[in-house]
Amino acid sequence: MAWLQASALGHAMRESGVWTYGVVNLVHILGVSTLFGSVLVLDLRLLGLWHNVALAAISRPTVPAAKTGFVIAASSGICLLATKATEYVGNPFLYIKFPAIGLGLLNVAALHSFSAWKEHRVRELSVPEQARLAMFGGISLVCWLTALSAGRMIGYW
Amino acid sequence: MHAKLSLGIGILTLSLAAIPVQAHHGWAGNQDEEFELTGTVQHGVSLAGPHATMKLRAADGKVWDLTLAPPARTQASGLKEGIIPVGATVTIHGHRNRDANRLEVKTERVTWNGRTFDVYPDRK
Repeated sequence: MAWLQASALGHAMRESGVWTYGVVNLVHILGVSTLFGSVLVLDLRLLGLWHNVALAAISRPTVPAAKTGFVIAASSGICLLATKATEYVGNPFLYIKFPAIGLGLLNVAALHSFSAWKEHRVRELSVPEQARLAMFGGISLVCWLTALSAGRMIGYW
Repeated sequence: MHAKLSLGIGILTLSLAAIPVQAHHGWAGNQDEEFELTGTVQHGVSLAGPHATMKLRAADGKVWDLTLAPPARTQASGLKEGIIPVGATVTIHGHRNRDANRLEVKTERVTWNGRTFDVYPDRK
């Protein structure tokens, strides 16, 4: 954390004008809302909502939007953290947020290695496969909701 | 089904909003009593976000963390980085953190060398 704070990024965040933090924070919120909004729609579909809409029709826009949102959120998030990184040491919400993000990403990796997910665009899925996908959707929703909530609370500690 | 889901999400949101948070944002995390402190500047004003900050060393040697207004608002009061030199004697007025173990003051006014920087002019 001390290293991150002392980095060129930390210096740039602190010394490049009074609106820098606010604008980067805005970009972070745009990233987070894009990520979470897409994840929410996809996960609810995996959990069984809107099952008259083909999964492929929902995964097609939500997956790239979630990826883009994640990249925006993660890169702006590092900037926010670098501003006063050492002040976040001991903040319990940070220690909830980052493992939740880690688990969320592991869940994405596991989902992408699952054959039914790889093939959902080209064939109908069986009921057990849909049930497995629902499990991924549920874990995902818990992970990202936890990350979002803990992230929002960091400033209130 | 959808109406029920919407209602459920609405209720959840409202109940989360009702949880009192120990703030930093807003004034709920600070004591209601006015607080004044005189000391020497240990670390000058920083306009890095989310709030401007400075550090003050009190007569007993304890170092206090001062949380000022957000950067743009602090600067608008005239309190720019480097204006008050390190080591200068200043008096500040604000509200202490509710946690008595934390030497932190959410600061409304900084007085130095006959000048008053009113970073929260709408508060007394």
